[in-house]
Amino acid sequence: MTAPHRNGSSQAGIIAPATRLSTDVLVVGSGAGGATTAAILAEAGFDVLIVEEGPWVDQDTVAPFSLDQMDRQYRAGGVTVALGLPSIAYTEGRCAGGGTEVNSGLYFRPPVDVVERWRDDYRIDGLDLDELASIADEVEQAINVTLVPGKPTPASEMLRRGAASLGWKHSEIPRWMIYPPGGDARTGKRQSMTRTYLPRAFAAGARMVVECRVDRLTPRTGTVTEAAVTYTGGRQGTITCRHVFVCGGAIQSPALLQRSGLHRNIGRSLAVHPTVKLAARFADEVNVPDDVPVHQVKEFAPDLSFGGSASHAGLVALALTDHWREFKRAVTDWKRISVYYAAITSEGRGLVRAVPGLRDPLVTYRLTHRDRELLRSGLGRLALLMLEAGADEVYPSFRGAPVVRDRASLGEMQQRFGASKASVMTVHLCSTVPLGEHPGRCGANSFGRVHGAANVWVNDASLLPTAPGVNPQATVMAFAIRNARHFVDTHRAGRG
Amino acid sequence: MLAMNDRYAGALAMRSVPSAPLVGPFADRLLVHDLPGLDASRRRQVVAFTARRVDGLPSVMNLGVVLIAAVVRGLLVLPGSSVLVRFLSRTALPLLGEYVRLVRSLGYAYIWETWPDTLPDGSRP
Repeated sequence: MTAPHRNGSSQAGIIAPATRLSTDVLVVGSGAGGATTAAILAEAGFDVLIVEEGPWVDQDTVAPFSLDQMDRQYRAGGVTVALGLPSIAYTEGRCAGGGTEVNSGLYFRPPVDVVERWRDDYRIDGLDLDELASIADEVEQAINVTLVPGKPTPASEMLRRGAASLGWKHSEIPRWMIYPPGGDARTGKRQSMTRTYLPRAFAAGARMVVECRVDRLTPRTGTVTEAAVTYTGGRQGTITCRHVFVCGGAIQSPALLQRSGLHRNIGRSLAVHPTVKLAARFADEVNVPDDVPVHQVKEFAPDLSFGGSASHAGLVALALTDHWREFKRAVTDWKRISVYYAAITSEGRGLVRAVPGLRDPLVTYRLTHRDRELLRSGLGRLALLMLEAGADEVYPSFRGAPVVRDRASLGEMQQRFGASKASVMTVHLCSTVPLGEHPGRCGANSFGRVHGAANVWVNDASLLPTAPGVNPQATVMAFAIRNARHFVDTHRAGRG
Repeated sequence: MLAMNDRYAGALAMRSVPSAPLVGPFADRLLVHDLPGLDASRRRQVVAFTARRVDGLPSVMNLGVVLIAAVVRGLLVLPGSSVLVRFLSRTALPLLGEYVRLVRSLGYAYIWETWPDTLPDGSRP
């Protein structure tokens, strides 16, 4: 066993690459699911090794939402797509801490009605809503869920103002941030996994290797004893283990299981929150390049939610490319422009398939007719919201879109809209290994153990039976902690 | 020992085809068409960034993009390529349209993030 370097820093558990490693519990991935799993198991006395495909990147060394961040902390530089008509662009974190390092940091408790529906529809045993609420309390303390001190950013204020003017429900969404005394929205330090649960896991003795991809698990008669890995640079190795928690996210987790010969109900039911975007130009400067708005508009939730996106000058230009000839003159005004989205709860589903001969899985997604109509009405309402907030001009992100200057032009915009012409995106990927006891739907049991493997668990967004209609990180963390504790209770007894 | 999963083993070591020779010429021509004011040295940087990102795409996407890029690259050497670029810059055809959208998106995001005061025709202020 290689001992971790105990240097007292947040990276104290990182060990050097080695051709052979062994551990009691192998945790694949270090995001919201993997980091919490590692912390709970290490604190319970298990020998834990975390394997992360991406690098460790200190928050202070990268500008949030920049191309540099995409290069260093996103899979494929942020250019990943679920194929379909339209194709849906998505992003995955690929770094220590996973998506928690790069997402908006907005916190929603697990929605009670959604969890109850999951419990009934997917037959999830032992799902105690009080236990989840108690875990949520604990998580909120651990990652310091809090409101912005002082004023929100101007781009956020526009969402609030527009919703207030229309009488639509809206609120400021808390974030996992620490703000210095007297600080404001732009001074927060994100309490991501590299600052919270990973240091906790290290303090309890967990080790971590970074820039190391798990290629496949090798099940023998239903039990995995070894994982084959490849380090960045091509060096290969193996890790022997007694238990495996796969926490690579809703795309990579099912792909790894499939490469390992585990297929039952795995990768067949990808769920996302598809979003359409627009750029809105105001009279005054509203753009805050390194932050996102904290307000969301929930008047039409759960079907439709409105919020704000990252709006670097490059991302503003990107939002204008769908009808560049019409929109291009706005690009020099990028400081007065911010980008907003309408997100829907989709009835569509997608597939994740490991493809022999290719390194990465094939990902597809199909929107339903209802989804397409919801995107149309969502974009229309979002444009209205921006006009009410005082936008001079609105630039919807679909091919051939008109500039919207007043309510009269909203009808034309909606008439021209087609989902197949739109730049549809998502950041919330779920449901590729749903948990529960429903034999036709679930890829894992009620606590995440994968069907067909005695010692392989999934513990990330893949387990959520559907996309929850809100930012899913808190729900992922609550389920991951619940499942890890169940594992501890079961195996502590087993270990004697 | 690897049994049924051997078929994935070779794949994991597979590297993508370097895309610069295939994507580069079209990216360059598209930039000249869309942003005539963008000078050659900046254009070279943008094209290099675009090719780098295409190289890093997930396998399936990389394969698809490289195949389309190869076809487009082949067509660009024929007479009348300016008409082709003009057509492609506006096309909504599946696959071809997506390819153009990808190249354009990468390029524009890079230009305005790197030089945010760039004018709409690509020129410096």
